[in-house]
Amino acid sequence: MIELQDIILPKGDPMIYWMIALLAIPFFSFLTSQKIGSKAPQWATFLLGLNTLLAIYLTATHWNSAALTMRGHWFKVGESQITYSFLLDRLTLIMSVIVNFISLLVHLFSQEYMRKDKAKPRYYAFLGLFTFSMMGIVLFNDLLFIFIFWELVGLSSYLLIGFWFEKKSASIAANKAFIMNRIGDIGFITGLMIFYTQFQSFDLEVIKSLMIDSEIKDGNWVAQFTNNGQVIINTLDGRWLSAAGIALFCGAVGKSAQFPLQVWLPDAMEGPTPVSALIHAATMVAAGVYLLARVFVILDAQALEVVAIVGAITAFMAAIAALSQFDIKKVLAYSTISQLGYMVMAMGIGAYTSGLFHLVTHAFFKAGLFLSAGIIIHQLHKLESKDVMFNAQDMRVMGGLRKHMPKTFFCFLIFALALAGLPGFSGFLSKDAILLDLAVWADIKGGGFYIPEVLAFGTVLFTSFYTLRMILLIFFGNFRLPVIMQKNELSNELKDGNWIMMAPVIILAALSLGPVFGLTLNPEHSWFVEAMPTPIYLVPAVYAAKSLVDVSPETFEALHGLVNAVSIGLALIGIVIGYLAYKPNAKLEQEFVERREPRGFFGQVSFYHWYQDALYTKAILKFVMLKAQALSWFDKHVIDGFVDGFAKSQVIFAHLMKWFDRYFVDGLVHLTVFTGGRIGQLTRSIQSGNVQAYILTSFVFLILLMLYLVF
Amino acid sequence: MAFDHLLFLGALLFCIGLFVVVTRKNAIMVLIGIELMLNAANINLIAFSSFDPNALQGQIFSLFIITVAAAEAAVGLSIVVKVYKYFQTADLDKINELKG
Repeated sequence: MIELQDIILPKGDPMIYWMIALLAIPFFSFLTSQKIGSKAPQWATFLLGLNTLLAIYLTATHWNSAALTMRGHWFKVGESQITYSFLLDRLTLIMSVIVNFISLLVHLFSQEYMRKDKAKPRYYAFLGLFTFSMMGIVLFNDLLFIFIFWELVGLSSYLLIGFWFEKKSASIAANKAFIMNRIGDIGFITGLMIFYTQFQSFDLEVIKSLMIDSEIKDGNWVAQFTNNGQVIINTLDGRWLSAAGIALFCGAVGKSAQFPLQVWLPDAMEGPTPVSALIHAATMVAAGVYLLARVFVILDAQALEVVAIVGAITAFMAAIAALSQFDIKKVLAYSTISQLGYMVMAMGIGAYTSGLFHLVTHAFFKAGLFLSAGIIIHQLHKLESKDVMFNAQDMRVMGGLRKHMPKTFFCFLIFALALAGLPGFSGFLSKDAILLDLAVWADIKGGGFYIPEVLAFGTVLFTSFYTLRMILLIFFGNFRLPVIMQKNELSNELKDGNWIMMAPVIILAALSLGPVFGLTLNPEHSWFVEAMPTPIYLVPAVYAAKSLVDVSPETFEALHGLVNAVSIGLALIGIVIGYLAYKPNAKLEQEFVERREPRGFFGQVSFYHWYQDALYTKAILKFVMLKAQALSWFDKHVIDGFVDGFAKSQVIFAHLMKWFDRYFVDGLVHLTVFTGGRIGQLTRSIQSGNVQAYILTSFVFLILLMLYLVF
Repeated sequence: MAFDHLLFLGALLFCIGLFVVVTRKNAIMVLIGIELMLNAANINLIAFSSFDPNALQGQIFSLFIITVAAAEAAVGLSIVVKVYKYFQTADLDKINELKG
């Protein structure tokens, strides 16, 4: 039998100082940036650069060493010891590099993008907080601490999305993101409670060790271990095992913007564009996928099925929604949701490696897409003046930017092709890996489980379509803004961004090329896939999903050619359709510019994202508001009425008391005083001050005394 | 019946003195009344000393009283003078500072 206390023995290692440094530097940036003031951008960027170097150094030195755990005791409540623990393995290392690196590029980019913003110190302080929180999730190996930092990520995203809080829409978007995340977090905390009930620890190592040891008996999930020598047998219904996995996944649903909580992400575009790059690439949305990767081995078959299906639905829905948006950032937002759907689905089908691979490649090309979109928006903003007012994010005012911003165009093209998943770019490798695993998974499961496959392949088609549409509308054709504004001189003023903005984009463009991850078209041969093998499930055998690790390589080989052909074919078809529909002067392109919103049922469904927002507003928000009103009425009339009535009765009682006090108690006092006074008056009247009267009285009494004595 | 007469004289004198003390307004008149009452007492003492012909204690005692009365008259008069100076009157009805 396993002794719980043996697993959570404190384990010191000098590496812990490096871990703390990784956490402390961004936090220090958060603490000091606000104070430093005008030099905050340089200071924060310097600190982040330091942290990135630290992460790269750690990765270089520890990439090939075994996973290292560091643990300490935090506090003790009764018999349960709460611990904190760090885990240093390849996943941690690669995530720390990506988080810090993307954050560094965003810091650098923001130097130019936020140059004119007065609240720069606050902005950089929040970026520091954001990086710190994300690093916390990455480094800790303890569900309780992951949850704490999880909430901090939620907080910092709230602060950054609502950075321009003077804008009503921005503060509403920030609230929406926050509330949607809280809904997911209810699930997360439920998962924590289930695991704690069963294993009496939040430490992932404990949960994993005890999970292997636990077994399914007569449909019950039994965990047997000793705590301080005392034998503990925890029995839960077997369904709680699935429930725990699904509950943890709920947290990821909120953070990683999965159906049905994904509606916050498009609205989160209200934040500054570099923040969008940070949220969409390295922090926040990656946190959900990262959490799934961390708890991957303790998810059972049913939970994984839910994960896979939700991921596939999300990927497909968002891809459809991205087809008809006008706002450049909205297109990118929906494409992020769609790609996150892929990652989550990958986790669900057991394609741990492929999911993480897509997380990494996506981090680079999506950060790049957002930053280049940031350049376009920033440069367009410069054209704004008193008589030229327009929405700089609207693709209807763009067009033909290829000639004005060739460098941005070139980089954007690389990112877009990576997003569309064309061979030679990083996105192809990771997406291909996911699709191959998906095809194998669907073959194993059969039946209705082909649906996710269909959805995923459909998403490939739509992805390439909206990617090309975006490129055509932004970079090809004529620059529409001067036409709309009837000011031809505007077209000459538009230029590429300066090197501070271009440098991060160019670096990301280089990292979005396929050869970075291996000179091959087969993801199996990429160094990343070879470095991160999929772990085996640790849940009791009856509940475990069939692992893709057990599938013979021949099965993969047999499907590989077909999957490759279909995905490339679909991507090319999407590109061709996109080109035909939106090439300069094509019918759709012409209509697009003139319309306020897409026409037709399909166009509407896509533009309004399957009416999900409207549904929430009508069905849930209305209900919540009604409930709030009812509660408000109840509060005002019943509770307040009760309180008021109580207060009134108090006043009446007080009046009664006053009457009693005045007439009864005071009356008694007055009576005493009156009696005393009367007696006093009586006695003082004797003291007349007339000496002769005294003498006379004395004699009279003397005589009376003598008479009394004599007779 | 000289003894009885003496007692009557004493009683009469005492009554006159008391009357003067109680009725006169002037403090000096009151003092004079007191002198009368003292002398009435002296007469009584002398009358009763006839029952003690050897020692004559009564007569000796009355001598003491005369002495004390003289002293008392001196002290009383000086008080009256002080009172008069303070109140600008010797009318006892008006000097009623001790009225309760």
